[in-house]
Amino acid sequence: MDYRGNPNGYPDPRGPPEQVQMHSVNPGYTEPTHADNGRPPYVIDMHSGIQDLEDRNGGEEDVRYLHARGSRRNWAADNQRDATDLINELPSRQLEQIASDVAKGTIRRKKSKKSFHGTVRGHHDYNDLAASLSRDPDLMDEFDGETRTTEVLRDMAVKLTDKKEIRNNISNSRQRTLKRGIQSRRPGWWKRTKYSIGIGWMHFKYRLAELAYSLELWRSLTKKIEGHFGTGVTSYFMFLKWIFLLNIPIFFLTLCFIVIPQIVYVEFQPSAEAVAAVVAANNMTNVTTTAPVVTTTAAFTGRELLTGSGYFTNTILYYGYYTNGIVQVVGDTEYNMKYAYLLTGGGYYILCLIILALSISRSYKKNYIEASGVFNFYIVTKVFCSWDYNITSPDAARLQHKSFFNEIKEFLSGKKLDGANRDFSTKCKWFFLRVITNLIVLGSIGGSAYCIYYIQDTDYIKNSIVILGKLAMPLVATGIILVLPFFFTRIGKLENYQKPQTELYVGMTRTMLLKAAILGVLAYFWFNRATKEDEPCWETSLGEDIYRLVLVDFVFTLISTFFLEFIRRLLGQYCCKRLGDTEFDIGRNTLDLIYSQALCWLGTFYSPLLSFIMSIKLFIIFYIKAVSVLQNCKPSVRAWRAAKSHTIFLGYLFIFFLLAVVAVSYGVLLVPPSETCGPFQGQEQAYDIVTTLVDSWEGDLDWLHQIFKLVSSPGFIASVLVAFSVGTYYMRIVMVGHKEMVKLLRQQLAMEGRDKAYLLNMLQEVSRSKKEKLRPSTENRILSPTSATSMESLTSPGGRRFARTMAETAAANTPQQSPVPSRRNRRMDSNENLTSRF
Amino acid sequence: MGNKITTFSEDQLDAYQDCTFFTRKEILRIFRRFQMLYPEHVPLDMKRGQTSSVKIPLHELEKMPELKENPFRHRLCQVFSEDGSGDMSFDDFLDMFSVLSEAAPRDIKTVYAFKMYDFDCDHFINRSDLEKTLVCLTKEELSQDEKSFVVDKVLEETDLDDDGMLSYIEFEQVISRSPDFLNTFHIRI
Repeated sequence: MDYRGNPNGYPDPRGPPEQVQMHSVNPGYTEPTHADNGRPPYVIDMHSGIQDLEDRNGGEEDVRYLHARGSRRNWAADNQRDATDLINELPSRQLEQIASDVAKGTIRRKKSKKSFHGTVRGHHDYNDLAASLSRDPDLMDEFDGETRTTEVLRDMAVKLTDKKEIRNNISNSRQRTLKRGIQSRRPGWWKRTKYSIGIGWMHFKYRLAELAYSLELWRSLTKKIEGHFGTGVTSYFMFLKWIFLLNIPIFFLTLCFIVIPQIVYVEFQPSAEAVAAVVAANNMTNVTTTAPVVTTTAAFTGRELLTGSGYFTNTILYYGYYTNGIVQVVGDTEYNMKYAYLLTGGGYYILCLIILALSISRSYKKNYIEASGVFNFYIVTKVFCSWDYNITSPDAARLQHKSFFNEIKEFLSGKKLDGANRDFSTKCKWFFLRVITNLIVLGSIGGSAYCIYYIQDTDYIKNSIVILGKLAMPLVATGIILVLPFFFTRIGKLENYQKPQTELYVGMTRTMLLKAAILGVLAYFWFNRATKEDEPCWETSLGEDIYRLVLVDFVFTLISTFFLEFIRRLLGQYCCKRLGDTEFDIGRNTLDLIYSQALCWLGTFYSPLLSFIMSIKLFIIFYIKAVSVLQNCKPSVRAWRAAKSHTIFLGYLFIFFLLAVVAVSYGVLLVPPSETCGPFQGQEQAYDIVTTLVDSWEGDLDWLHQIFKLVSSPGFIASVLVAFSVGTYYMRIVMVGHKEMVKLLRQQLAMEGRDKAYLLNMLQEVSRSKKEKLRPSTENRILSPTSATSMESLTSPGGRRFARTMAETAAANTPQQSPVPSRRNRRMDSNENLTSRF
Repeated sequence: MGNKITTFSEDQLDAYQDCTFFTRKEILRIFRRFQMLYPEHVPLDMKRGQTSSVKIPLHELEKMPELKENPFRHRLCQVFSEDGSGDMSFDDFLDMFSVLSEAAPRDIKTVYAFKMYDFDCDHFINRSDLEKTLVCLTKEELSQDEKSFVVDKVLEETDLDDDGMLSYIEFEQVISRSPDFLNTFHIRI
């Protein structure tokens, strides 16, 4: 039954495979020697051929039916049959049937998950289906059969009413099996435990899903936006939501492990040291601001919300407030703040890394790997995938029709890609133009970076106006970030890229480069200041700077939303009509989100509650953007490719995350912490606490010390790196191999298609000539060797192998994974035959 | 949650939960949507087989905001309705949104998308099916020549065995490779 057990395909009844392969490869190929030798004419045994083909798919219940079909299919008996009938009789015509039967009959198992492809052709009786399912021991398993059945049922493409029926049938027969089984043996303790854990887990999962459903944020709003603007704009909001949700665990992590212990330390342990610290803190607040009284809320003047300094300087908001002391929890249990601070910091970066890496790889897999080669299918995907089913507003629907129509028109007009036709001089012109524009862009990025550094370096200290002096740098930085991208867009238009997508991505890359440059300069400045100046607590002032940047960024987002969306709409509606409709700029807005999240990552170590501020900010931005979009914007005529751009945005986010991590780890590993504040005061480097801790293990926890030493040794790290690179290289090789395989298979498929057309022509001719001759038929029809050869090739291993390949392709999830290495050579051989023949 | 007790029995809810990609709450929510579409005829008590016998006619279903603007709504309802007429019982309705939900895997979506684009139900997407799809998408703005040109192109790209139409396998080859498909063949309810 399981044809896969036989890698060589069908036992060929007529001799060595090589010989037959030639027929299958080229039906026109006749072997003259055989004909000359008076080789006995072939006896066409189409019947057994087809039955052979079906037998491995259908269950035994089908055998009678197949016999009937098989004899009906004895096409040679019927000379009246014309080409269309012949086509329908071809094995490949039965492919869909076979494929779905294969998938159904032999339960496909991949990663222990099962999937049933339902019926594409024809209706299947669900009783049969249930019966065949009941025969599967896995589903009949007394314990986890139920969960497995659920999985199978869900993936079946059968009507719901039938599904319910099947479910009943299966559970009934499971009950019967159980009853029979219960007398014979009682389940062991292990099985019972496993069962109850499994059931509990399933219920827990359902509960969790329900909880997630009722807790799902902004569902109605998202749905409304999706209905009005389609998936493109929604992808921005989903991204926003994703970042918002990413910040929540970071916040809780810092809250639980740093902030609450610190509060406990300050509030409930009025030891001499803590009192001194509080007093010192009070004094310091008095010094830095002119506010009369300290720790009470009365001292809060409101301007601190903007600058983040003054009242806030010595609060849980910043690094400097945290102690390097030990919190006595209960009895002798101690909680060492400096370890907690460092480990939590490392912890949330690792957490972010894991989350980011997982979602990037998932998105990449979904949109690039599985979707590879989609460029060959430009128009097909247009036709079948361009309609956005989420759209509910008539306006958006009208625009979608229009956009589709435009794209088709564009396609029809020949895509006007004149890249190949350009002569040398125009190419030179464009090349120089692009060199110049790129120089301008780089220059402006460098200039703005220097500008930021200049402001930080000179005005920062000696400015007399307190608030503006402190806000000068963030205002300028955010202003540059707001304005320059528009400039880049204009430059991008000048560059005359062939595809609008290239232009978009080039523009985005430049914007991100600008942001990275500004952040890089700031980080350089901060760490530089830490080493040379005698600031009381450079970490805190770094935190304050980032706080201001985050805040000003927020304010600018609000302002730009107001001006670029609201005012622009008013202008477009009432004053100058040529401005046209306001569209929501998905790219720009998403990049802004990425930038502000990068700020958050950069600052979280020095200002632990930044993730909380970030969450609030994102929460507000969501509502403001949602309202603004619904009020001011019109859906875009150009379709936004949401799927691929999502991966690219995640990529940018990941790059910025890495940059932030590099900056922070530089700060932790190499920059000496300030001497009078923070959890790491008195250390050479913040990381030193780890080395001292490890050294302290040397006596009683020697094994741990040894392990740590081993892990941190250069040799170990190098070997891990080498192992990783070897793994990556291996994966790459495999990938290249698969790609080649796919290419070969595609070629082969195309060739087989041509073969079929050729064969059909021949068959038609044969049947026509036979009709003319009207030769009486005998039981076993005897044909001339030529036509016999061609007919044989229909049932020959080539044809069947083709059928089998297709069936396998359908049965396995992705075709790249289906070819088994051992078969590969054989197929390549036959492919070589193919190419040499044509 | 008095509604839960009166509309469906526990067994029914369990069965639905096992057979679709929805949780109980979502199922009840979808039922409310279903009931609101045709309140006079859909009873609130569905315990005795009404889930497959009480049907909402196609013209009422098409008024649903989620379907109203969809050019394929007619076809969508036909594919999912039990008898192919487009009138849907609650089972069919729930099935449709289960397939169109975010949780449904690519495979099952592809099967139904194929059925949907196969207008004449001959298990192949042939030229006339493709032309009908184009008409749905552009509202008859393309001329006959343009249509047949686009259809030619589609077949050129997809039709691997040169038979002038798309079989399920050919269709799946393309669709399963398109990243946009999962994003667009999806209705949030």
